[in-house]
Amino acid sequence: MDGWCHRVSRPTTRRGGVGSPALGAFLVDAEFVRRWIVDAASRIEEERDFLTQLDAAIGDADHGVNMHRGFTAAVATLQSSPDGSPGSLLQEVGTTLVYRVGGAAGPLFGTGFRQIGATLSEADPPDGEALLSALRAGLAGIQALGAAAPGDKTMVDAWEPAVSAFERTLRAGGSVVEGARSAADAANAGVEATLPMQARKGRASYLGSRSIGHQDPGATSTALIFGALERAVR
Amino acid sequence: MATRVSAAGDRHGTIQSVDRAARILRVLGSSPRLGVTEISDQLKIAKATVHGLLRTLEQQELVEQDPNSGKYRLGAAMLQLGNSFLDNHELRARSLMWAGSLATRVGEAVRVGVMNGETVLIVHHVFRPDNSVQILEVGASIPWHACALGKAFAAFVPPARRTALLAADLSPLTGRTMTEPSLLRAALEEISTLGVAVEDQEAVVGEAEIASPVFDHRGDPAGAISVVGPVERLLPDGPAPALVAAVREAGRGLSRDMGAGRFAARG
Repeated sequence: MDGWCHRVSRPTTRRGGVGSPALGAFLVDAEFVRRWIVDAASRIEEERDFLTQLDAAIGDADHGVNMHRGFTAAVATLQSSPDGSPGSLLQEVGTTLVYRVGGAAGPLFGTGFRQIGATLSEADPPDGEALLSALRAGLAGIQALGAAAPGDKTMVDAWEPAVSAFERTLRAGGSVVEGARSAADAANAGVEATLPMQARKGRASYLGSRSIGHQDPGATSTALIFGALERAVR
Repeated sequence: MATRVSAAGDRHGTIQSVDRAARILRVLGSSPRLGVTEISDQLKIAKATVHGLLRTLEQQELVEQDPNSGKYRLGAAMLQLGNSFLDNHELRARSLMWAGSLATRVGEAVRVGVMNGETVLIVHHVFRPDNSVQILEVGASIPWHACALGKAFAAFVPPARRTALLAADLSPLTGRTMTEPSLLRAALEEISTLGVAVEDQEAVVGEAEIASPVFDHRGDPAGAISVVGPVERLLPDGPAPALVAAVREAGRGLSRDMGAGRFAARG
């Protein structure tokens, strides 16, 4: 089981150039959105079978395939919309995920990205603080739809600690790069924390205590997305 | 965690060692593998006693010891017992044909459930006939208020039972789960008129269910049969009329097979 977690917590590639964007200089732009979503799609593709394997234990055995299909479609959406604002691009990504992922993950991840996009669309300037607010809005959208709280063994168990870590880092005077790194680390830790949990939401909850000992696939996908975010802000 | 049996045989008429053996089986049912010490710690039973009980259960093939780790897990006899439970279940036995033909007819997954306390126990599940990978849900336990099976059943129970069900834990499974007793009561009233229950992403986001109650020879609800699947296919613009008709027909037919008279097989 340990190995499963490690596969997620060790991204295969680190985007080079730890160049130092000056503090506060970070602004969300269309290129950032592309880097983030393309990277997330490639990580999900790499882990597709692993995600499905996780889902087979406590869900419907389709998570990897569904997420791969959805993120592939999201990348295609970005390629066919060369001119959008970052907020509108992320909203399009969200809409694509809702319709192309299917299952529960489609509406949940789709709503997350739509909320992120909507919040960034209204942000002026779209800086690190705005990105934090957007990620938090994404979490709120997911929680409104799924009624999940931390500890229910869902994607919230990775997303919530990631957003909180991002916020703590920014409040402590850290850069967006440092914030995103702490978010990715917290998301990975959140995934590992789902192992001993008993699922209280989603199909996995039907299994009752049999869900204990399995890593949550939705939380795992969330950690992949935050890992991609970390590389995209650099 | 499942309901605990009496703490340590402290009730009149219970036998402590049987009680303890049953608790060991339950705790093994919720973990992949456990050692004697772990079981002893969890159940607060002396290690020597746990060891003796495990040896006895092992002889009956109810538990087995992993040769590598020395830890224990449930044994093959448990599967046979579980299957016997299902085989001897009248509603399940009678539902096999109806559920299979319903799934073929509508092209979606079909479930048959019975009430077990305040949750619906899935006793039969037919996969959506599309060759996709699906996970068998037989044995799954779903809170009654979050699924159409449970609501279809609850709509036809006597008032006292309905009130008890409405006083149960109504925790949300999604943002759309009905958790307000008064709203649920009104929904049950409507279901008892329509004869069909609909659930819209109240158990799993993106998933919907349409269920019909099944009645026994006394005219009491015995369980329910449902079609379950993606919300966009089941409820494209409200419940798809063809699906509602098919589910209702299966519920009626199954009720007749259960011996329910014409009058009892409502809906």
